[in-house]
Order: sequence, then C-alpha cells, then structure tokens
Amino acid sequence: MTAADAAFSRSLGINPMKYCSRCVVPGMSAVPLTFDDKGVCSGCRVSDTKATIDWDKRGRLLRELVDEYRTSSNYDIVIPVSGGKDSYYQTHVATKELGLKALLVTYHGNNYLPEGEYNLQRMREVFDADHIIVRPSVEALKKMNRLGFRIQGDMNWHAHCGIFSAPIQVALRYKVPLIMWGEHGFLDLGGMYSLNDFVEFTAKHRLEHLLRGYDWYDFTDEGLEKLGRPEAKEGLTAKDLLWAKYPSDEEIDSIGVRGIYLGNFVNWDGNSNAELVAAKYDWKASEVPFERTYRLASNLDDMHENGIHDYLKFVKFGYGRATDHSCKDIRSGRMTRDEGIAMVRKYDHVKPRRDLERWLTYVDMSEEEFDRVCDTFRDPRVWRIEDGYWVKDNVWGEPSQYGKAHVA
Amino acid sequence: MLKPRLIPVLLLQNGHLVRSELFNIHQIIGNPVHEAERFNHWGVDELIYLDISRSDEYDLRRDDQKVRHLNTITRIQEAVSRTCFIPLTWGGRIRTLDDMASAFAHGADKVAVNSQALRTPELIAQASIRFGKQAIVVSIDVLRHGDGRWEVFIDCGRTPTGRDPVDWAIEAERLGAGEILLQSINRDGTGDGYDLDLIRAVAGAVRIPLIACSGVGRYEDYADGLRSGAAAVAAANIWHFKEMADRGGKRALVRAGFNVRI
Repeated sequence: MTAADAAFSRSLGINPMKYCSRCVVPGMSAVPLTFDDKGVCSGCRVSDTKATIDWDKRGRLLRELVDEYRTSSNYDIVIPVSGGKDSYYQTHVATKELGLKALLVTYHGNNYLPEGEYNLQRMREVFDADHIIVRPSVEALKKMNRLGFRIQGDMNWHAHCGIFSAPIQVALRYKVPLIMWGEHGFLDLGGMYSLNDFVEFTAKHRLEHLLRGYDWYDFTDEGLEKLGRPEAKEGLTAKDLLWAKYPSDEEIDSIGVRGIYLGNFVNWDGNSNAELVAAKYDWKASEVPFERTYRLASNLDDMHENGIHDYLKFVKFGYGRATDHSCKDIRSGRMTRDEGIAMVRKYDHVKPRRDLERWLTYVDMSEEEFDRVCDTFRDPRVWRIEDGYWVKDNVWGEPSQYGKAHVA
Repeated sequence: MLKPRLIPVLLLQNGHLVRSELFNIHQIIGNPVHEAERFNHWGVDELIYLDISRSDEYDLRRDDQKVRHLNTITRIQEAVSRTCFIPLTWGGRIRTLDDMASAFAHGADKVAVNSQALRTPELIAQASIRFGKQAIVVSIDVLRHGDGRWEVFIDCGRTPTGRDPVDWAIEAERLGAGEILLQSINRDGTGDGYDLDLIRAVAGAVRIPLIACSGVGRYEDYADGLRSGAAAVAAANIWHFKEMADRGGKRALVRAGFNVRI
C-alpha cells in the first residue's frame, strides 16, 4: 500500500481510534461513517447541509405528499410512537399542522420509565388520534432480553425488532399505506445519506442496520441451532414472536405501504422538539438523572436504553450515548467540542449500577456472567489488554485503563 | 427481441457499500451482501458490482453483526455469488487476465474493466479471445469540462487521459469489448438525470450495447436513457433510497411504453 493509499484508508475511518475533528464521534462507531480530507465526519457534513435547504419548500413537498393519502373513511397515516419528545413532535405535525387522522402504534418492551409511560398514555388525550400499543408477553420479553444480550451483545434487540415491525404489521392490517417515522437515525447521526435523497424505510435497512443482520427466526430454538448457538436456547417458537415478523414484499406492495421520514421535510432538532412539546403538551422529561448521559429528554421508553444497553456500546466500541448526544449538540451549536469531550470523559465509561442491578434481577443473571459475556464483545480494533485490564485510546489523547478483563 | 434491462450498480469501498456523489463524496450504506441478496427477491435483470477501493483493506468495522469477517476481496466475491442468483458483472481493480479469471471463478458472469483498458488496450483484445466478448464490459468514466468538452478519466475519476469518450468507445469495440458501461462524473449522485447528450453520442458511435449510468434521481429518468440509445439503464444510489426500487423503476418504464421483464 502506498503512503497516499494508507492516508486515504485512515481518512475512511479504518483507523478505529480516529475522531472527527469537529464533533467527538470515533471512526469505529456503531453507525458507520466516513471522514473527508479535513477529518470531518459524514455526520457533521450532512448536518451542515441543513443550513442550505429551503425548509419552507420541503414543508410544501410534505403537504403535497400526504395530500395523496388523505382518505374519507380510513386513517390517513400511521405514526410509530414511543411517547418520546420526537413522537409528540411527529404527531403534532401530522395532526395539528397537516390535519391528518393518525393511528399511533407503539411497541412496548415492558421497561418504560414512569415519565415515559405517563407521556405515552397521554398521547390519545392531547391529540385527536387512536392508539394501538403492542405488548409482547413478559416471559417472551425476558427470554429475548437474555438472547439479545448473549447472541448480539444487546439486551434491547427485541425493542429494535418490535419498533420496526409492529407498526408495519398494523399499517397492513388497517390498510393504511403511509407511515411517518421521525428522523432517519443513521442519516442524522452518521450522515449515511444526503437529505436530498428523501430516503424511505426499507426492509433491508431494518434487517441489516436496525437489527444488525439478525431476524426473529434466529432466536427460536430452531434458529439458534442453525446459528451454532444451541446452548443459548430459551424454548422460543415462531408463535412467541408474532409481533416481530416483518411482512413480505408482496403484502407491502399490495397496500403500497411506504415509510417516510419527517427528518427529510423539517429542520430536525431533538432539543427543539423537546422544548416545543413540553410547552405545548406538557410533555415530561426524566425527573431522575441518567447514569450514562446528561440529556434528560431522550430514551424514556426503556430504562436500559441509556443504561446497560448503552454500556454494551462502550464495551463493544469504546464510546456511548454521551458521545452521541454530544455530537448532536455540537452540530446544532448547543455545545462546544471541549464541552462535548468533558461529557464523554464524565459518562462514556460508567458502569450503571442502578440500572444493571435492576436488569440482572429482571432476567435472573449474575453480574459475573454479565461481565464474562460482555468481554466476548470487546472489539479488538478498539480494545487491548494490558496487565489484565482493558485499555483503549481516548478522544482527549492519552489511553486509559477501563476495568478488569474477564477473558484469558 | 431483446428487452431493455434495468441494472443496479453496487459500489464497494474498503469493505462497505457506499453512496457516491461526484466520484468524490462517499457515505457508507452497508455491508457487501445484504443488498445483493435483496436483488434476488426483486425483478432486476443483472447486477454490476464495482470495487472502488483504493487499497487492499476490506473491513466491516464491527463483529457483532450476523454478517462478519468479510475482509478480503475473494471472501466478498464468494459471499456475493453465494447470495446473488442473477447475472453478475464484477468490476474495479481488474488489471490482468488472472484477475478476470479469479472474478469468473468466484461467481462473476462478466467483468468490467476501466483504467487498465486505457493503460494496456491489448488486455481487452486478449480477454475477448480468452473469455469471449460477451464477458467483457469496458467501463468509461467521463468528465464534462466547463467548456462542454468531454474527457475520459481513470482511477475512479482522479486521472485525466486526454481521450474523447466517443473515440475511446469505438476503439474499445474494435478491441473486442462486448458492452460499454458509461458513467458521468458530473452527474454521479446528483439525481439530475442522465447526461443524455453523452449517451446519444457514444451509443450512436458503436454497435455493441451501451449501459447508461450516473444521475438517476427519479424512476422516470430511466426511460430518457433508453430513448437516447442505451440498451440498458443502470443506477447506483437510487437503489438504496426506497423500498422495492425494482418495481418502481420497472413500472415507470412500462408507463413510458417500454417492454421490460416484470
């Protein structure tokens, strides 16, 4: 490889511990991104383009698009909602600004924070919308928590699957062709697409990115056998996971179901959404601080999302939600890079005691087993073992030690 | 009769599929096999897979996903050909007859050659004799200068050649190319539609089929490519944007009066 090619490879982010020169995202990120020759990540570059877009025109495009889907006798739109700030904002735009009759659909993974549950239940009071909440059996959910953790290093895999399956099932059942999601997470955080692409929801994006390549059938006893992980079997069958099934192309095509992202049509900013819906609808942020991030308005639909689910991201990739939140807040001008780095230093490595203990009790697992499984997911591009401890490089320069290694 | 073909192009860069803009901006779309697998379920006629990596490093960057360890080009080729059951053209980083033989051995039905065809044109003649011209696609990347003049560029759009695309296409046909894949650097990733003048000029100068690419932003753009003389219409980015991009594209072609395989 020539020096120029090596430099080019590093610019792609293949050097895992390269960080964006503008925000704090590492090259080795869960959301894949690239770096340009100035060392700026694709997430920042796409965020920059928001200032050049004619958002009034985008608003007109959205209105024209939804006008084609207005009906006289059915729901005009399905909105997948968690009850969070963004859900409220989506529903506000759809019902109050566009005047659509909305069917709200929620996947409920059984771990809502009290504030999140309050916000969720109030949606049908503050909006003229009907609401279907899909709640899988708690026994199946506990099994899926353990399986997600052991197979994919993510106890909340079930949530990604439910959130990105149940609303499409409901749209088909009620024959509502238009679904409106919030922002495209991978575009917003990592700059996966241009905002000019008007990307829509696809089965491929669900399977590959949102579900990391696994689908519900991988978690049945039969599926685990095929995966070569028979020791992880929990006795699940296809009938336990009906809520997780994604419809076929033919079914989707027969109704013409499409999922648009509101983030392509409005100048999306999570903080602004939170301010607007708190003022208009008395939406409530978390009253108790999180152990792993400073934001109080995100991820209230699952207590582990900002807790041990996010700790697993640190275990795998060496960073966490405080990095994600800092990136977004730096890009929107609410925070400087130095302030972001301070948040990363304060939060990214924290093992969330309160949250961990609740989850271990919930799924009946020991902390010793938890740590052992965690260490099977340490990415060698990020982590090295020195003197029996995990070590990695940091955004602020020098490497640090982060806990005892539980592998040989 | 030959029906016009609709062809997705996948761009591989150091292990990931990428979205491309002006041959310059690349954003990671995903791993090398999921999309190829998806095309099996869809009504696409062929798949063109171009490796635009500038080094031999292929890395998916995370090991906690179901698809993992695709860290050499032959592993990627094998994984793609295992999942993809439609005719496959492999291009990018093909410099020798051995590179071509390896691509065929790992599942390719055709190879696309670009930079090396200009550096050593006799490679096309030799390849055409050894593998048959039906298996050899010459890929041409064209930049339109400010004064309207066209110029062929190689090395993923980084090296000018001084060649005119029409002259080069005629020479490629004479050397034994079976098809031309024509890309416009200026239109790449813009969604502004094909460079129809370029397609007309090149298609009008050769008898072999021309595959038009670069610039498709709406499914309706495909029909313009066919009307300008292309035998097949290809696109890269738009295949990643919406669900069932095959049906969207084919239905637009049917609406425009073309007889395509549905």
